[in-house]
Amino acid sequence: MVLPLFPNPAWRVHASIFFLCTFFAIQQVTAQDSSPQFAELVARASAARDQQNLPLAIQLYTQAEQINPSWQEGWWYLGVLQYSSNQYPGAIDAFSHLLQLAPTAVPAMALRGLSEFETGAYDDALRDLDQAVAQGAANGPRNEQIIRYHLALLLARAARFEDALAQYTALAHLKSESPDLFIAIALAGTRSTSFPADVPAADRTFYQSAGRAGYTFLSGEDQEADHLFTELFAQYPTHSGLHFYYGYLLFPHDPEMAGNQFREELDIKPTSETQALLALTLIYEGRYADALKPAQSAYSADPDLHIAQIALGRALAETGDMKRGTELLTQALQRDPSDLEAHLGLASVYSRTGNREEEARERKICRDLAN
Amino acid sequence: MSAKSAATSPTSFWPLFSTVALVAVGVLPCVLFAPSGISAQQKQNDPAPVTCAICHAGVAKTFRTAPMRHAMEPDGANPLLAAHPDLTVKLGAYTYTVQTRGGHSTYSVTDGTDTLTLPIRWIFGQHTQTWVLEKDGHFYESLVSYFPRENTLATTPGDQRITPHTIEEAMGRRLPIWETRVCFDCHATGVGKKLDVSKITPGLECEHCHAGSQQHMADAARDNFKTLPPSLKHLDAEQISNFCGQCHRTFDTVMRNRWHGPAFVRFQPYRMALSKCFIGSDPRISCIACHNPHQTLNHSAAYYDSKCLACHGETKATPAAHDAKICPVAKSNCASCHMPKIELPGGHAQFTDHFIRIVKAGETYPQ
Repeated sequence: MVLPLFPNPAWRVHASIFFLCTFFAIQQVTAQDSSPQFAELVARASAARDQQNLPLAIQLYTQAEQINPSWQEGWWYLGVLQYSSNQYPGAIDAFSHLLQLAPTAVPAMALRGLSEFETGAYDDALRDLDQAVAQGAANGPRNEQIIRYHLALLLARAARFEDALAQYTALAHLKSESPDLFIAIALAGTRSTSFPADVPAADRTFYQSAGRAGYTFLSGEDQEADHLFTELFAQYPTHSGLHFYYGYLLFPHDPEMAGNQFREELDIKPTSETQALLALTLIYEGRYADALKPAQSAYSADPDLHIAQIALGRALAETGDMKRGTELLTQALQRDPSDLEAHLGLASVYSRTGNREEEARERKICRDLAN
Repeated sequence: MSAKSAATSPTSFWPLFSTVALVAVGVLPCVLFAPSGISAQQKQNDPAPVTCAICHAGVAKTFRTAPMRHAMEPDGANPLLAAHPDLTVKLGAYTYTVQTRGGHSTYSVTDGTDTLTLPIRWIFGQHTQTWVLEKDGHFYESLVSYFPRENTLATTPGDQRITPHTIEEAMGRRLPIWETRVCFDCHATGVGKKLDVSKITPGLECEHCHAGSQQHMADAARDNFKTLPPSLKHLDAEQISNFCGQCHRTFDTVMRNRWHGPAFVRFQPYRMALSKCFIGSDPRISCIACHNPHQTLNHSAAYYDSKCLACHGETKATPAAHDAKICPVAKSNCASCHMPKIELPGGHAQFTDHFIRIVKAGETYPQ
């Protein structure tokens, strides 16, 4: 797999600068070793760094760390300088040393994640960036773009498309447009685990157009996005995944509009996931009887599909087969005890069967989950 | 079971309260419930359209004044604004004016330098009113609404967090396409898959809740009474809550959207689901046990007392009600204590909380 291009090369420079500032704003790190040799190395390394002589600075920081491996500031600079020089394995090593000494150094975690990404260690990169963002690494305006973009790529690669789109939503609000960002959004939207750099040249126009439509939607320009998607559907009438993509974006806002898109997608390429999502849109609309057929199709094709279990369980329970419906909803909860839809379904079942204690318990769980 | 999704094209659907329908209600009551519904002679000689009111005269008559029928009013049919033709309020840097002349209202906002004036074409709400405005092909929810309790304009509930920076932002909150569609779908008839405001009918008509009634009318005109709209009579309380909750919002909808706070007290099915006495299988606690959607809202406390006492009275109506406690404090005005009125954020209006409970002194609004 070819490494993805940066959507905006300036992001990386900004990130380095920002991380330098951030780290020292929060860490008062001092050298523990007071030997003259160590002090001299520190002074020379610092001077080389100030003079932008990166190779010399890296060499001197490395020597200083050999004398005093508990020097946090040295590991930090060594990591940042190597990251800035595209020496990613060395950067990973330096940040790993720092994180052993200071496990909560979130900027180091983020930069290690970015370095791991560059070496192709994608699982490690996802773990680090996910954790770093959870701990606030993307809260600063300058480092947000590079971190979220790479995290989103990795989330899509791991088939966590919804999480990827959440990161792209944040990027869209930053108004950081770029062709690769568009392609990345379209890939996540069409459920592809590829990176933008993997897209063949012949397909790039399609993905850029599709990504622009998605980006416009995520920016909050829904009307313009609707026009762009309508144009796409006319231009690529048989391209699978496009209607699913728009339906998926619409789903949290308007199940009925989303359902229309899922129906269109099913005409082009039926999948159990699309069937299950169509069933869920109908359930959201309260059309339980109508939801039965697509839910049954999805479940028959893929009994392990979580949303198919939920959709069929709810549809059955609401249309009379409470026993089987309850079984499926309970089964879904065994896999994910915090699934709101399953708890909503069970609350409804218990309400309709007069099981007041169980109903109250399920409704409380729902309220807690929704908090 | 959905009503909204099955709304038919208004171009082929005669409004329930068309002139013909009103004539039918007033002049032809004797034939309304004849077995064939419509006389053979009428079918032969009268090209007038069939309407629901021909057979369902009683319901049609009371529904004329029901709140849902007036969920939206068109321009030119707003007695409230006609009675208060000059409304104005200053909020921050902006001054809002709603002026009504000759039955038509305009909405203006000015910052002292620039002024934006738009016609009010869609009036949402019969008492408290919010207006949907259209500008350059986009729809906006007016940033101020009319509150009859204080006869004043004030910030639209839910928009208090908005700090406008331009006159356009001060005018209103731009609505996404889906929110516009949902707004109109609950306040008008004939919205369908894509909103076309030229094709909607303000307020709710029969077809809105009784999906298939148009087909039923057409078939009834040919003496075919087999294609009846799905009956709503046999829905249990939970199903009724879900049905009404398509617009009044269900527990599920509120949970899915993670809505919190007193602003959402106006979503009655959601609040009702929190009540200890809400049992999905018990028809005595369903929405329609207390509210007839075809009639005006009943404001009599005694009327609602009778509903509460059906379970909580000394004489229990049914054996299933035996575990319902009897109130040790009073035998009347139940709702005044157990369904308190909650002030909406920003003040100016309040809603009855349908979370039926024993309210403790000083309690915070229960989520």
